[in-house]
Amino acid sequence: MMKKLSRVLSPLLIAFLVLGSLPVAAAPQAAPANSLVTTQDALSADQVSADRERINEMLSRQDVQDQLVAQGVDPADVEARVAALSDAEVRQMAEQLDDLPAGASVVGALVFIFVLLLVTDLLGLTNVFPFTR
Amino acid sequence: MSHLLERQAPRQQSERQTWNARTAGVLLLMAALLLLSGCATGPRLASPGDMGVAERTYIDGVPFHAQRDYQCGPASLAMVLNYAEVDVSVDTLIPQVFLPNREGSVQPEMQSTVRRYDRVSFVLDGNFASLLEELDAGHPVVVMQNLSLPLWPMWHYAVAIGYDLDEQLLTLHSGEEANRQESFRRFDATWARSERWAMVALPPGELPVSTGPRRAMDAIASFEQANDAEAALPAWRAVTERWPQDAMAWFALGNAEYGAGHPEDAANAFRHATDRQPDLAVAWLNLGLTLEGLGQRSEAHQALQQAASLPSRWQDDAKQALTRFND
Repeated sequence: MMKKLSRVLSPLLIAFLVLGSLPVAAAPQAAPANSLVTTQDALSADQVSADRERINEMLSRQDVQDQLVAQGVDPADVEARVAALSDAEVRQMAEQLDDLPAGASVVGALVFIFVLLLVTDLLGLTNVFPFTR
Repeated sequence: MSHLLERQAPRQQSERQTWNARTAGVLLLMAALLLLSGCATGPRLASPGDMGVAERTYIDGVPFHAQRDYQCGPASLAMVLNYAEVDVSVDTLIPQVFLPNREGSVQPEMQSTVRRYDRVSFVLDGNFASLLEELDAGHPVVVMQNLSLPLWPMWHYAVAIGYDLDEQLLTLHSGEEANRQESFRRFDATWARSERWAMVALPPGELPVSTGPRRAMDAIASFEQANDAEAALPAWRAVTERWPQDAMAWFALGNAEYGAGHPEDAANAFRHATDRQPDLAVAWLNLGLTLEGLGQRSEAHQALQQAASLPSRWQDDAKQALTRFND
């Protein structure tokens, strides 16, 4: 019974998944013949052709979405987060998310480092311990 | 420490003291090296008169949200957004900006999240003077600091809300402490490690006082892309008012007017752009296309011809448009 059911359901599911992913995979719609040059395109200094850039853009946006999910972001939130990023920010996230500093105010401190930081705190170089001010 | 030492036998105590002295010496040496490498110098500031800022300022009414866990990013955003009259809570912002596995928030997403609340995020130019100028203008500033040393970073977002040039003190809502006072020197040492990253969140139509036109336009173009032309219009108008001679500002205003469904205003703005900078091919191109849409064929033809004759990265597009127009 289950086997029969799954034999019927699987192709349907596959079909739906493929259909569902089509809009994402589709290339950006060809711009209408008389569309204006956008401000972002005009401001961006590099000489890559606008179309190629746009396709790369879509790919890296997808890439950043995947990275955010890998970072533990709820998939339901991911799309809106990526949509708010500018092209330059998408590139930055796609290329170096792991290297970007993440503001969090924690330090993985060992005792030695603790002492060192205490001294640098007292010297006014750092600000790890609130009581040193 | 002293009560611990008292409990120890005299011999142990002297050994302990030797060790302490040696450790302290090593640490002092390291600290001295750090000092020599120059990271401890306080910010070099022009006189307040030259900077054109008040001796001291404090921005009243920036609400304080104490951070929980590692969420100084969402907390800082909530403070500046609330001050910019956006009604949003830290809890709403957490799933929008926080990265659970990194236990922190990254700068690009701090910038992008502001846009989701119809506010423009401007990243400042990373000068101490710019920070003071924004505070003087009444703009609270989100800053990123590395409170620790580069090798063991402790990245942190806080909101600067005031300063006192006389006392050399900066006032910040930071972590779990409202109105925390930090000396310029210590603050700048920790701020410099983020390459002095700083951001203001302003309603479209308001501009930071410390940035140039290019930086402002990049910020507004990003805002426009994430929102829409209509929302960005006041911001572009403000840019053309602040820098009326800047052709790109008029060009961008033209695009926003066009996107908001005002082709005639768009054509006017493009005309301003080509007046300011007659070799700005992209403005001629958009002017031509807009006029073509308006049915003003003779002026459209002239504009497209200009665009096609000027060497630029849009020359091919302009030639195609001209060919199509002539057919």
